[in-house]
Amino acid sequence: MTALIGILVFPGVFFLSLFGLVCEFVDRKLHARLQHRVGPPWFQPLADFIKLVSKETIIPEEADRTMFRLMPALAVAAAAAAALYIPMWSAKALFSFSGDVIVVIYLLTIPTLTFFLGGWSSTSLYAMIGSVRCLTQLFAYEVPLFMGVLAPFMLASTWNFSELAEFYRAHPGYMIFNVIGFAVSLVALMGKLEKVPFDIPEAETEIVAGSFTEYSGRYLALFRMAVDIEMVVGASLLAAVFLPFGLGLPAGVAFALYVIKVLFVVVLLSILRTLFARLRIDQMVDFCWKYLAPASLVQLLINLAVKGALLS
Amino acid sequence: MELIKKIVTWSRIKSPWIIHFNTGACNACDIEVIAALTPRYDVERFGVLLKGTPRHADVLVCSGPVTRQIKDRLVRIYEQMAEPKFVVATGTCACSGGVFNGCYCVEGGIDSVIPVSAYIPGCPVRPEAIIDGVVKLLGSLDGDPAPQGAVPAPDAAEPVKQGTAV
Repeated sequence: MTALIGILVFPGVFFLSLFGLVCEFVDRKLHARLQHRVGPPWFQPLADFIKLVSKETIIPEEADRTMFRLMPALAVAAAAAAALYIPMWSAKALFSFSGDVIVVIYLLTIPTLTFFLGGWSSTSLYAMIGSVRCLTQLFAYEVPLFMGVLAPFMLASTWNFSELAEFYRAHPGYMIFNVIGFAVSLVALMGKLEKVPFDIPEAETEIVAGSFTEYSGRYLALFRMAVDIEMVVGASLLAAVFLPFGLGLPAGVAFALYVIKVLFVVVLLSILRTLFARLRIDQMVDFCWKYLAPASLVQLLINLAVKGALLS
Repeated sequence: MELIKKIVTWSRIKSPWIIHFNTGACNACDIEVIAALTPRYDVERFGVLLKGTPRHADVLVCSGPVTRQIKDRLVRIYEQMAEPKFVVATGTCACSGGVFNGCYCVEGGIDSVIPVSAYIPGCPVRPEAIIDGVVKLLGSLDGDPAPQGAVPAPDAAEPVKQGTAV
């Protein structure tokens, strides 16, 4: 019963959806303020969601109906499932086992895969181009993201979120060594969320709306919700890995701190997306392999050196 | 049930996503539509977002007289949109065909091909007028009298003082 509430209400789908809408609002409002605009009112993401849910849903005749309808639900499910393993109110998450960080990163890959499959099975030309770009991009940012996120775990000699939090509680100073990893993961996360410098898969000025071109009504609403939840979970992942302080405090305080940390990451993401313009797909792949991957390697080297020099 | 209906209507009024389609305009109205979407006018205040695909959009903003060549495309794009959908005719030509009415290659105004919910006259229309027209159209969802021939508010139609730095 507790597990069911955990999956459906808190910290499951319901909480994540609400928090996702809040994060989308913060992102859009800050984006607008940085452009010297007033920006959308606070209920805007909610109004968008309700409107899309209540709209007619069109499925193209040519599309693979099963895949087309299954993918949005799968995207939400995968993104929400990843949140269950991330510590929010204490060092221990709702579910925890040795190696949960690997599962979280792989679960966060599934939404990207559903964008590809959904776009591909809608058989629209624009959707197909967007889907292929989605996968191309996945291969570019995924490796730096993995190395960036796993570097702090290597320093702590564990694959588990709670043990990581315990380690950094015992040695708070070691968080400073992970700064490069944080920067790399932040940039890679922008690629994962398809935020502006890396919004090549849904480039609305070239390929209409990318993978989502043929989606309408509630399936589009689910996909947008999946992106929002992915943003929350991605930000939570960065918060849990790179800012693992304060998890030993009382549950309420620790949870408030968690919300602040996630919003901090979201604010960083939206400042970055305001600063840059869209890259081409080849520039994006070049950037990721030429600069991001070596930077994450440097992070690994630093952590190895620190581990050898200070911890042995 | 009544409450759900109210919430849905509210969300439709608060979140109009538009798609812009040139049905044969001289480009003046198009530039004004683009201008209305810039940060200066900031239509995201009203929840307006420009969408590239008709599947996502609620409001089809058409500019220009319907030429014979574009007629089939206009109908196709209209039919690709998901219900409920609205059409806004921006500019004199879109409203009636303008000076091109009766031309051998011109069908007439937008309403000669697809049903139109709001007309915004002007040559070209000012961004303020476009925003006002869309807002009036959405206000009509809430039970206000239908905005047939929604004309821009007097203050919006007045020419802005020239030469003021922004």
